[in-house]
Formats: sequence, C-alpha cells, structure tokens
Amino acid sequence: MLPAPVLRERHTMTTTAERPAVKLPPPKRRRPALRVSGRRSLTAWLFLTPTLLILIAFTVYPMVQALYLSFTDYNLIRAAEWVGIDNYTELLSDSAFWNAFGNTVLYAVVVTPVTVVLALAFALMLNQAFHGRAFARTAIFLPFIVSLGIIAIAWAFLLDPNIGLISHWLSLVGIVPEQGWLSDPRYAMAAVMIVGVWKNVGFYMVIYLAGLQSIPVDMYEAARLDGAGVWQRFRNVTLPLLSNQTLLVSVLALIATLQAFDQIYVMTRGGPFFRTETLVMLVYREGFQELRFGYASAISFVLVLFVFILSMVQFGYLRRKQVTY
Amino acid sequence: MKTQQRRGSRERRSRHTIRPLTVVAALAVTGLALAGCTGQGSGGGSDDQPDASGKVTLDFWNGFTGPDGPALEKVIEDFNASQDDVEVKANIMPWDTLYQKVLTSVAGNDGPDIIAMSASRMPQFASQGLFEPLDDYYSDAGNDTEALATAAVDASVFDGVNYGVPVNFTPMMMYYNKDLFTAAGLDPEKPPTTWDELASMVPKLTVDENGDGQPEQFAMALGDHETVPVFASLLWGTGGSIANDDGTKSTLGDPESIEALDFWVSLIRDQKATQIGMSGADADKLFQTQKAAIEIVGPWMTTGFDEAGLNYGLAKPPAGPTDEAVLADVVSMGLPAGTSDAQKEAAYEFFAYWNSVEAQTTWSDGSGFPPNRADVADKVTASPYPAIFGAAEVTDVSKTLLPGVASGGPIMETIFNPSVQKALNGEGSVEDIFTDASAQVQAELDK
Amino acid sequence: MAITATRPTGAGKPTGPGEASTASARRRRPVNTRRAATWLLAITSIAIGLLMLLPIIWMVFTAFKPESDIVSAPPTLWPRELTLEHFVEVWDRIPFARLYVNTIVFAGSVTIISLLFDSMAAYALARLPFKGRAVVMVLILLLLMLPFQVTLIPLYDMLNGLGLTNTLPGLIIPRMTNAFGIFFLTQFFLSLPKDLEEAARVDGASEWRIYWGIIMPLSRPALLTLGLFHFQYNWNDLLWPLVMSSSVETSTLPAGLALFMGQHVVEYGLLMAGSLLAMLPVILFFLLIQRSFVAGIATTGLK
Repeated sequence: MLPAPVLRERHTMTTTAERPAVKLPPPKRRRPALRVSGRRSLTAWLFLTPTLLILIAFTVYPMVQALYLSFTDYNLIRAAEWVGIDNYTELLSDSAFWNAFGNTVLYAVVVTPVTVVLALAFALMLNQAFHGRAFARTAIFLPFIVSLGIIAIAWAFLLDPNIGLISHWLSLVGIVPEQGWLSDPRYAMAAVMIVGVWKNVGFYMVIYLAGLQSIPVDMYEAARLDGAGVWQRFRNVTLPLLSNQTLLVSVLALIATLQAFDQIYVMTRGGPFFRTETLVMLVYREGFQELRFGYASAISFVLVLFVFILSMVQFGYLRRKQVTY
Repeated sequence: MKTQQRRGSRERRSRHTIRPLTVVAALAVTGLALAGCTGQGSGGGSDDQPDASGKVTLDFWNGFTGPDGPALEKVIEDFNASQDDVEVKANIMPWDTLYQKVLTSVAGNDGPDIIAMSASRMPQFASQGLFEPLDDYYSDAGNDTEALATAAVDASVFDGVNYGVPVNFTPMMMYYNKDLFTAAGLDPEKPPTTWDELASMVPKLTVDENGDGQPEQFAMALGDHETVPVFASLLWGTGGSIANDDGTKSTLGDPESIEALDFWVSLIRDQKATQIGMSGADADKLFQTQKAAIEIVGPWMTTGFDEAGLNYGLAKPPAGPTDEAVLADVVSMGLPAGTSDAQKEAAYEFFAYWNSVEAQTTWSDGSGFPPNRADVADKVTASPYPAIFGAAEVTDVSKTLLPGVASGGPIMETIFNPSVQKALNGEGSVEDIFTDASAQVQAELDK
Repeated sequence: MAITATRPTGAGKPTGPGEASTASARRRRPVNTRRAATWLLAITSIAIGLLMLLPIIWMVFTAFKPESDIVSAPPTLWPRELTLEHFVEVWDRIPFARLYVNTIVFAGSVTIISLLFDSMAAYALARLPFKGRAVVMVLILLLLMLPFQVTLIPLYDMLNGLGLTNTLPGLIIPRMTNAFGIFFLTQFFLSLPKDLEEAARVDGASEWRIYWGIIMPLSRPALLTLGLFHFQYNWNDLLWPLVMSSSVETSTLPAGLALFMGQHVVEYGLLMAGSLLAMLPVILFFLLIQRSFVAGIATTGLK
C-alpha cells in the first residue's frame, strides 16, 4: 500500500492493533485481554463516529460526486451527461492545462523552499533575547491571520505603477518598471510568489520556534565542549533536531503552494496572458467562467493525484533523514 | 527520551485546566443553538410565492454598485409604491460576484427572480439553459417595446430568441482632460476626432519629464483586461472585427483587423500612448489622478471624475480611417428558466415600468445614463450627461460587441485580451499572435 | 550562520530551555561585541517586522483617508487628511452588525465543534488501538490534500437538496471537523507521555474520562493553537460563504466586504475600514492565546 511508510508509527500501539489481542499481556488487568481489546476497538470507533460521519457525508461523498462529474459534461443547470474519459483525454492536449501545470510547479518549487528557509532563519533570529523581539514575532506572524483575499487588494494597490506606495518608493531609488509589476509578464509571478511567502512564513516560523525551544540546552553545551563552532552546532545539533518540524512545515507548505489561489485571483486573475494561472485558478475559470464543471473536476483530480504523489515522495525522503533523540 | 524531557513542564500545567474545557463545551452547544435560530430566521421560508394578500416578491440581482445604485433603487421604490401586487427587492453586488453566484443560486432554491447582466454575457448563460425566453414580452403591445432603442433590445437575442429586457444602453464616450490638453499646448476645445489626429497628439500628451523611460503622464488610459471591451471596438475603425455579424466565422486574422491592431499596438509600444497591462479600474484611476489625458469609458465615471474635481470634456471617440463605430454597453435583465407564470407576469409588470417614460426619466436623471427610449430625452433635465451620451450622432453609430455569440465571454477573456497583452509586451508580431488567436476564436465559435 | 552565535545575552527573560543563558559563551566573548550584535539583531528584526507589516499599516492609514486622497498621486503612507467617514458609512452600506454576528456564530461554532470532534478522532487515532486505523489515517491524509474547490459544487448541490443553502447551519455543518485538525492533534497526542493515562486505566477509568480528564487538559496549548487556526480560517473564508449564501443577510464579513470591490469602482476606504473592523476579533484571539501558542506547536512535529 502506497502510504505505508507514513503510518508506520514508532509507537507500539499500532503494532498491537494489527495483531490479535492475545498479544496484550497486561498483568494487572482485571478482565481478560481479549475483551479489553475488543471493547477499546469499539470505543475507538465511537470516538471516531462524529468525525467520520461528517467527513463521509460532506467531504468524501462530494469528492466521489466530483469524481463522477469528471467523467461528464455538466453545467449545473442541466443534468450531467456521461462522456467517459473525454475530459481527461482533452486535458492531455490542452495547452491551458499544461501552462497552469507548469506555473503551479514553478510556484511550488520556488515558494516552498523559500518559505521554509526564511521561516527557519526568522525563528533562529527571534529565538534570541533582545528588545523588540515580541514585536518582530507578532509582526511576522500577523499576515497569517489576516484574510488573504482582502490583504491581496492592499498588495495590488501598493504595487500599482502610478499610485502604489511600493512602486513610488522604488522609483525614488531609481527602480522604475516599464509597466505595472503585476501586469509585466517578467515580474507578475514573482509578485504573487512574494505575497504567498509573506502570508505563510510567520506560521512556519512559529512551528520552528517551538521546535527550537524544545531542544535541550545541554546538547549545545556538549557540542561546544567538543569544540564545535557556530556553523557546526547549527549543522549537527539544531538542524537534525528540527527535522520533525522541517517535515511538518515542508509538507504543509507544499500542499499550500500547490493549491495557491486567493492572492492570484485578486492580484492578477492569472494574467498577464495566463503567466500566473495555477491549476486551482484554471479549475475556477473552467468551472465558474466557462461553466464546464465536468472538465474542471477532471483538472482538479489530476491536481489531487499530483499533490498526493508529491507529498508521499516528500514524506518518504524527509523521513529517512529524520533523527530521533 | 524526548517525552521525559518535556514532561516536567507539562505536568506543572496539567492540574487546573478542566474548567475552560467545560466552558468550551457549553459554548459549543449554545453556538449550535444560536446557529439554528439565525438560520431559520432568514433562509428558511421561500418568499417567492404570493403571500396571503396575493403580493409577489421579486428578488432582483444586479451589479449597480457604483453611483448609479441609488438611482436604480429610486426607480424600484417608485415601482413598489405605484401598485400593490408586486414588490421588487434589489440585491446589489459587484458584477464579478454576481456571475460567480448566479449559476449555483439558480440551481438552488433561494436564487434571484430577476437577473441583470451584461447583454454580452447573456448568450453564454442562455445557451446553457439558465434563462427563460421572453419573446412573449415583446409580442405584447401593451408593454410599449416599440419605443425602445433597437440595439438595446437586440443585444440580448441569442439564436433568434430574446432572453432579456434592457436595463440600460449606453455608448462609451471619450473623456479628455482639458487642463492636460492646455498644458500640452493643445486646444482644450478640440479633442481628436480621428485616429490620425489622436496619433499626432500622443507625443505631446505623453510626458516623460525625467527621461527614465517611464512616462509620468500618458496620452490615454486604455485597459487591456477586466474592462469594457474598448480595445476590441477599435478594430471597427478599419472595418475589422473579432467575428462576422452572425457569429459563425472568425475575422480576427483578416487584414482589416490586423491593420487596426498594428496601428494601436505600435502607438502604445512605440509612443507609449498608454500604460500597458491595466485593468478597467486601473485605467479609471490613471485618468482620475490626471496621469492620463484621454479615456474612453461609460457614464458611470462622471460622478467619480466630478468629485475628483477634474476639468474634463466629453466627445465622440475618434473615428477610424474607414469606419466610425462606437462601442455600446447594454445591461439586460432576464428571468431564470422555470419561472412560474405568476412570477413572470409580475416581472413583466416591472420590466414595463422600468422602461416607461416616468421611470426612464428618473433613471437617467439619477444615473447619468442615457434613457432607453428616445421620447423621454427632453424630460431629462437634472443631469447633463444623458443628453451627451444619448446624442443621436453617437447612438447612431453605436454597436455592441459580439452580440448573440454564446462564447463571447470566453473569447474576450481567454483569447482576445491575452493576445492583446502578448502583443503589447512584444511577445511576437501582431500578425502571428492574432492569426493564431483567430484560429482559437474559430474553435470557440464552432463549439 | 551568524545568528546562532548571538544566542543568549541574558538581557531578556529566557522563554525556553534553548535560550537559557550560557555562562561559557559569556566568558569567551567580549561584552562589546555581544552588545553590538544584539543591537544589530534588534534593528534587523524590527526592520523585517515593519516590512512585513507594511500592507497592514497601509490598510490602517488608508481606512482613515478620504477616498480622493487614497486615489491620488504621489501616494503617501500617512493620510494628508484624516476622516472617520468610512467607519461610519460601512455600517449603513452593508448590514455590518448582522454580518459580524453571523461571522462570530459561524467561525465560533465551527472552531469549538471542530476542536471537540477533531480531538475525539485524534484521541482514537493516537491512543486507541483498533483495526482499520491505517485506513482511517490514510483517508485523513488524503482529505488533507484535497483542494476545497474540488468538492465545492457537489457539496453545494447536496446542501441545496437538504434545504441548507442560505442558512448558517448549512455553512457550519460541513466544517464541523477538519482533516488538518485531526492530523495536527493526532501528532500532538502521540507526543504526550503515557504513564498518567495508563495509571488511570489501571484504576478503571473509562476512555472518555481519560480523554476528557487527562488528555484534553494536557493539550490545552495545542487546542488553543488549532482553535486560532480554525477560527482565522473560517473567519476569513470568502469563497464558501459567497457561494453558499445568495443574500448578504446570511453571509459573513468577507462576503459582505466583497461588495465594495466593484468592477468599475473599488471603494478602498470603505473596504479597508470594514476589513480593519473585521480583523479585530482574530487579532484579539491571537493576542489572548499568544503565550500558549508557541507551546502549542512545540511538541507537534511529525512523528
């Protein structure tokens, strides 16, 4: 099974779950082991009931519906019409799809590592004690909790070539774009990428900060006594001990970047000439503008598959590099 | 090992934290209860049906978010006061939002009863089965539809069937900043009347004071996306177009079309006639901040420009070398498919009122839009703009873009506008880009 | 990386073990260098902080500018003229109070209910051995990767069939549990020590008692953190309420504020004033739980 390595917990509990309950030998238990295990299994399902009911009804079922729709021609008004794999074959030769696919990959490949590295750098910086640290932490985190849809309007305004503040300040130091940053095919993608990094870096920074604070001091002391320099301490103590956080952050960041939508929708609408159109943007355009919900579903399932495979690869790779202590 | 190191701090915290969680649980329950109450209050019952007194309520979705909104609401108020059978409620939202929500809402139960939208988008939705045919409205002489401007009525025809009744019909006019004309040494009372005159003024009106290659002032404010399709209408000046009249054949690659595109692309690229890559809203801002001398746009901008204190004039857009044609924008209102007879009758009553002499006078006075019928022109006195935008010399040469073409929206947004942007960014020659685009347009028309 | 070199200075209160002041570092480095480094660090961080805040600062100032000042060249950060008109007008232009209540009910109940259900599911996944755990876990991970846009239309169709569109329960119910939340809490629970609950189990405590009486109190920081996550996500969500509600009365703040983003006329002043007022609860929430926040994430790596 594909995701097996993900789920192989170091906890012994999982392994006991998969074996017959006879293996459970708690000496002090008052009841026979078999009954205990059976009851706990039932309890587990009881605990899961509300969640599973909701997930199945409101996510899994619609997902299956969407999968069905991806094999149909559907406009929301008329009944869906079965077209077999036509949507998928059309997609393979659709230049708009490949363009969006390329943009999505580009966005993810740049934004994910940049966000993760910046988050780590900020965390290292703000793990020091100095005046103004609380301000900096809050300031960096704040973008994460404001609405991207609205703040992207502020960004677009700031970047306006004629009355935007950032454009104005840049022009004072001699940086003058030939046209608006957002409408210039050379810079539009970079602009939405910057906003993407800006939005999430604070959240990942906090995850790293939390990780840094749980690293025991004596490990640094030991390294120092061994004569390790700053870089060596970072390389051999900090980084390995943050591998849990790195795995979490990079998986979350990758999933988020592959689904980039909000700021692109507000700032460029995928333009100029589709240079910033990502897959989710394309799904939106095919669905809500071209009224082709069947085709839009097909695109989104290709995206889901892509996200899934990439996340699994990432899990597998980073997991191997993980260190336990 | 890990857990042991952390346990210390956690145990210290663990003892006294049960209470907040009980509070949380209590809140959860109240939250649900509250949610239940609020939901029932507003969304529960369908108010589409006539109530005990036989009154029909119609939810009217439209996108008049700007200064024209109050004028629209005034007409609706007058209508509601004028009779006891029908009550219209305006639901005003940005056009974008409206297009985004209209499909799901019509598919749903609580959707609109009357939908206004740009007549250019109507064929697309009509072809998908969203709209109810309204031919019987036009065949009823009592509705006085003969008095309406033909172009306004025809704009919502798709496949020989009319799906809409006009809300407004307006040509785009050329706004020009008289102060900037004077500053450039041009006569502020002589705006350009032809492309050639305009081209000769561009070098004077585009100003790059510090010589950094980025002008501080542009001759024109011309948007290339998310805007009324002014750029596409420029093709008409040389006899070009995007598609032929019956919308079956792409003409975007024809020599006439290429000639117009060549003219404008080189004017913009070589002379920096306008900022590249602007949306309609960007273009409005550029003109409003006096960084552009000329903009071609509808009457809805008069309020904003007046408030900004601009000294501007209005004139017919410059004529092309062979043809003179002005872009007209029509907003029509339609009924969702499956509308009941009772509601249809009620809606027709409102449509007839909207286009009556009385309502059109109120509408034009309040909004600055020209009236939909010529016979009220002399009654509109409160605003000077309806007369300017509705002048016969302008309306006589006005036409709408791609009327009755189901794929008109996608053609503009996914083929024409991106191609213009490519050309303006120098990503290939005009001829290559638009020959390619023409093939794509043909594919859309053939769908 | 030079940053790690400037580690503890002893100036502030150390907030974690990693920061505890180290005597050996102090001995080896001259005081002046350390002080200079701290200053440099402080200045850099504050500059980065200000840069990060720029769009939000711009938003605040813009909310107080008259519309004509906003759209004028050259742009300024500081208002040339101050006005409160946008803050007054926003209440008249959209049913702001109603939207506020709706948003509080929506984001508030989603947060609370989701925390309850997520944590119950996470408890089962982290603490109760059962057949099928692997399958459930894969399902959760799969759903975590599912873009929301995929299910939007079928979900709308279904809720519409149930008569739930245009109602707050319709907005809330599908959000009552969340794959990310389950995943996050499962990871957290896995990191909790097991001796307390084992002892309770030996004493014959029910699983519910262990979950509610031991695990939940221990997880307070994680729950608050996830709570903030859920709250801000739902508070700020635009597409979902926009599609689900056809009238502004049953909608939420972001959908209401979207009304100021007209195609031809964007009313920046109103939009920014409204957004600012709309942002307050989320920021308040954050400031209230800020202390627990870092702790909440501390132990939630991937295992």
